[in-house]
Amino acid sequence: MTRTIRDLMSRQKWVAIALATIVLAGVLSVVSPVFLTVSNFQAILVQSSVTAIMAIGMTYIILTAGIDISVGAILFVTSALFAQLYMDTESYLLAFTVTIVCATLLGALNGLLIVKFKISPLITTLATYSIYRGAAIHLTGAQNIPVPREMGFLGNGRILGLPVPILILLIVTIIGIYILNRTRLGVYTRAIGNSERSATETNLPVNKVLIAVYGFSGLVTGIAALILLARVGGLQSGIGIGIEFTVIAAVILGGTKLSGGSGTVVGSVIGAVFLVLIDNGLNLLNASPYIYDIVRGSVLLAAVAIDRYSAVRQKASLEAQRAERMGFGGPHRAAQ
Amino acid sequence: MKRIFGAVVTGAMLAANAVFAADITIGLSVDQLFESRVAVNNGIKAGAADRGYDVVEVVADGDAQQQNAQIQSLIAQGVDAILVCAVDQNTIERALLAAKKANIPVVAYDRDLPDSRVVQSFVGPDSLVDGRLAGEYTAKALEGVEGPITIVELIGALNDQNGIDRSKGFREGIAKLQNVNLIEVPTDWDSARALSGTQNAFQANPKVSAVFAATDTHIPAVETVLSDLGKLAPMGSDDHVVITGVNGSNDGYQAVLSGTADAFVVMGTDATGRKAVELVSQILAGEKVERLNYVGGNLYTASDAEANKAMIWGAPK
Repeated sequence: MTRTIRDLMSRQKWVAIALATIVLAGVLSVVSPVFLTVSNFQAILVQSSVTAIMAIGMTYIILTAGIDISVGAILFVTSALFAQLYMDTESYLLAFTVTIVCATLLGALNGLLIVKFKISPLITTLATYSIYRGAAIHLTGAQNIPVPREMGFLGNGRILGLPVPILILLIVTIIGIYILNRTRLGVYTRAIGNSERSATETNLPVNKVLIAVYGFSGLVTGIAALILLARVGGLQSGIGIGIEFTVIAAVILGGTKLSGGSGTVVGSVIGAVFLVLIDNGLNLLNASPYIYDIVRGSVLLAAVAIDRYSAVRQKASLEAQRAERMGFGGPHRAAQ
Repeated sequence: MKRIFGAVVTGAMLAANAVFAADITIGLSVDQLFESRVAVNNGIKAGAADRGYDVVEVVADGDAQQQNAQIQSLIAQGVDAILVCAVDQNTIERALLAAKKANIPVVAYDRDLPDSRVVQSFVGPDSLVDGRLAGEYTAKALEGVEGPITIVELIGALNDQNGIDRSKGFREGIAKLQNVNLIEVPTDWDSARALSGTQNAFQANPKVSAVFAATDTHIPAVETVLSDLGKLAPMGSDDHVVITGVNGSNDGYQAVLSGTADAFVVMGTDATGRKAVELVSQILAGEKVERLNYVGGNLYTASDAEANKAMIWGAPK
């Protein structure tokens, strides 16, 4: 049994975070009587929805061995665009359409800059983070803009008894899984992450894939922005600050390798839920507000350390196998 | 003769002031832009315009190193005084020492720098009093409630003095209530965190009597949670949750008008900005100024918020 789980964990990295989530949920259900309630589970999923949706887009980017620091700024600028457009035109259709198109274009612009100028994704998106956030502040004059009450349906409405944010998360997750596993874009995304040089040498459309991947992340960030705006009740200049790190943390916790090539959409969604679960648990336990960041940081550090440790072990085992095949006794023995 | 002499002196002083004023430039170093900060900055600009001063504004976007460099740049530009709202006390002191060396007076606004050897004066909200006003209102609203009273407190940033003082003041205000179970929810001034924290707090404590938001911009998020849980009951009904906040934004104003929130404390943003310029003016004229200058807020409820709309900086004009 243990071996089966271990095998599964080594093949499917998301199983580890799923198990960790189950264990944490088990602990919380023992220490807090209200944890195991339908409404609490719904609350956890609703709270996870924004981060999880963004994490799906980020999974694709990290799979290409890239990173996008500007997603929080895209979240903010598209929220600002929606709030401002709706205030000026009172047209939902126009505001929704422009917001989603702009979010996709801003993401794609990141991809375009990365492939055109061959600058590292970290530096490129750090620059665009500043540009996008500055543009939004300029657009709104750093003012708060309320959104109409009926928009609250996106944030706390229900369809067939399920909260709308959870439904949207489900749809985006299914689409994310489908594209990654059943389309050429998904295959190319992993291929670029495994080795961009090989992907280029085998004539894969690397540039187009990268632009599409960053564009997809922008698109889902736009969707997340609308949910967040509906839930928070209006635009505030603090929206999206630091969320990129939570999103990246969710992806890493979900088993996607920072070096690219390996990872799953499901893992990232569970990673986002896990992070919310930590906050939920600390809230339920009425923990001191000073320890929240410590706990979150420690969990992320542990996840990265485990990922690194397993990568080192995997590499050592591969090298040992290779050495054995070539007739050496292994790297250490060969060194003696 | 005395009258003529007096008139000449007064005229000369006014002329000198006009010439003097025309040459004065205030360097305004802002930590980052958000609604209430913009409102204070507008007060500064209005106060400066009244006196004929120029203002050079730089914004650090929450980056302490950037603010440091921006202050060095203001010194290089030869501004006559610096008004600063610091990102970080420790990082900024080096740049402020350079200002002192260049004989440029420094006044802190909105966020004090108590350990600074350079800052000559501070003007900002009396966050302790603001929090206490909200606390006392909550205590009065919950007077007579039997059994344990659960209050959710949405705390601002844990390292921000205004947030800390609002929290402290609120606790002082509710001190006379017996049997209080205070649930602290850290928000870091982020409404998304306030939203999830409030939701979790309500899950863990189904019977919450009151919510205090360190900034009223979190009140719409509280409204979302109450609406989610079917607990959004207007003022006056038995299940009503008493909601108060501090700031004075449009979010707070609308929440109070709609009856979702009970009361909010409105900061005197314009008065703070104008006082900051007055302090600069006094220092430049060689006058002695108080080290600490507080501008207390006013509490408004549904009964008097609309009538005092002009006093509420965030209310639509």
